[in-house]
Amino acid sequence: MRRVLALIAVIVTAILLQSTVFSQLRLLGVRPELLYLVTILIALQEGPNEGAIVGFTCGLAQDMLLDQPMGITALTLTLLGYAVGMARQYIVSPSPLVPTIVVAISTALGVAFYEIVTFLLGQFEAGFTYAVKVALLTALYNAVLTPILAPLLRRIVEGSRPRRVVRL
Amino acid sequence: MAARSGPRNTRLLVVALVVASLTIITIDYREGDSGPLAAMGRTARTFMAPLQEAVTNVTRPVGNFFSGVAHLPSLAQENTNLKAEVADLQARINATSQIEAQNLELQNLLNLKQSLTPSSVAAVVISNGMSNVNYYITIDRGSNDGVRVNDPVVTGSQDGARLVGIVVSTTPISADVRLLIDEGFSVPGRLATSGETGLVVGNGDQDMTMQDIPATTKFPSGTGTESVFTISYSVGDQHGRFPPNILIGTVSSVVQGGVEPDAQVSVRPAVDFSSLEAVLVLQTANGGSG
Repeated sequence: MRRVLALIAVIVTAILLQSTVFSQLRLLGVRPELLYLVTILIALQEGPNEGAIVGFTCGLAQDMLLDQPMGITALTLTLLGYAVGMARQYIVSPSPLVPTIVVAISTALGVAFYEIVTFLLGQFEAGFTYAVKVALLTALYNAVLTPILAPLLRRIVEGSRPRRVVRL
Repeated sequence: MAARSGPRNTRLLVVALVVASLTIITIDYREGDSGPLAAMGRTARTFMAPLQEAVTNVTRPVGNFFSGVAHLPSLAQENTNLKAEVADLQARINATSQIEAQNLELQNLLNLKQSLTPSSVAAVVISNGMSNVNYYITIDRGSNDGVRVNDPVVTGSQDGARLVGIVVSTTPISADVRLLIDEGFSVPGRLATSGETGLVVGNGDQDMTMQDIPATTKFPSGTGTESVFTISYSVGDQHGRFPPNILIGTVSSVVQGGVEPDAQVSVRPAVDFSSLEAVLVLQTANGGSG
């Protein structure tokens, strides 16, 4: 229960920050995607199961606050959380740069997937160049935020794990 | 949330979540604004609006600082252009505080509000939107305050109103406003000097485009010397959504000549959306188009 509450608190905080502070941070017309970052970092740390659940919850929460067909971000982040969680078993390098690189690549792919789905639903009217620019810059911004947010998120998630009692 | 489970269970879970997402997309796409999911969205936004307002109030100075850092390239250019003007003004300006600036903005809006017909509702921007694909803001006034879908939103001073966008959805205590720079946003406009009319279309972070302006149109020389205002029209019982003579922006570039029958006209918005804090909602919603 404590874990669920901790993750809900993380998601609500991320949404509030994304819609207020981060919404003002448009650099070259693009801003970071905090909910993508949260999904990817939790999937990296906890695996595909929690990655998918947190991704779906983050996506649905963001969809509720956007004036466009609901479910697109939920679909994107569910698949992103699952894919990143599955991919972590192939990541063997202990380098601290790994999370940053994973965040950059998966954010770019996630944003591109979102753009393709919105385009297919007739909701994306910007051109191809703009779509590529948004995907790459969002990936860059999220990568920059990773060293700041990853340790914080790790501490929250690990702190909320149920403690095991070992009887001797 | 189960942290550990077999691969088969995980795959089943993901399939279930994907099916749930696709179902949500389908239901919402078919039902539109009148569906149960749209109602859930409005409820969620109603719940979030006070939280967003509180966070915005607390973090606005921080946000403004980072926003300033984020806009350094364009600020550098603007700084160069304004240096001469600043030199003249510096002697008269001892200090400006954020409260004074905010007071001035609200006073300007009050003056504008008193000079406007139809009636209007003053609102504070509580969120600048979340998406990289769309340009929206959220304001702290909703249907309880008389704000309706299709109401135009402006800012400015007694000297004149400047167009911000249009209300696209409301909750009892908040409303989402589509900015005029949003891709696909369009508003009929008129060039101040020549009187030619055309459609001004949003272009994201680029300048807007004004369509249907004949290539033979005369423009005054110099950037920013030609203004574009809204026009109003009525066909039978249908009225345009925007009152006339609201400043949309100024012409930033014109390409004429060649075989094209129309000039390629770029329009820079009159509003700086990165520092927008207070707006007026004009209560004109009539379900018209345009």
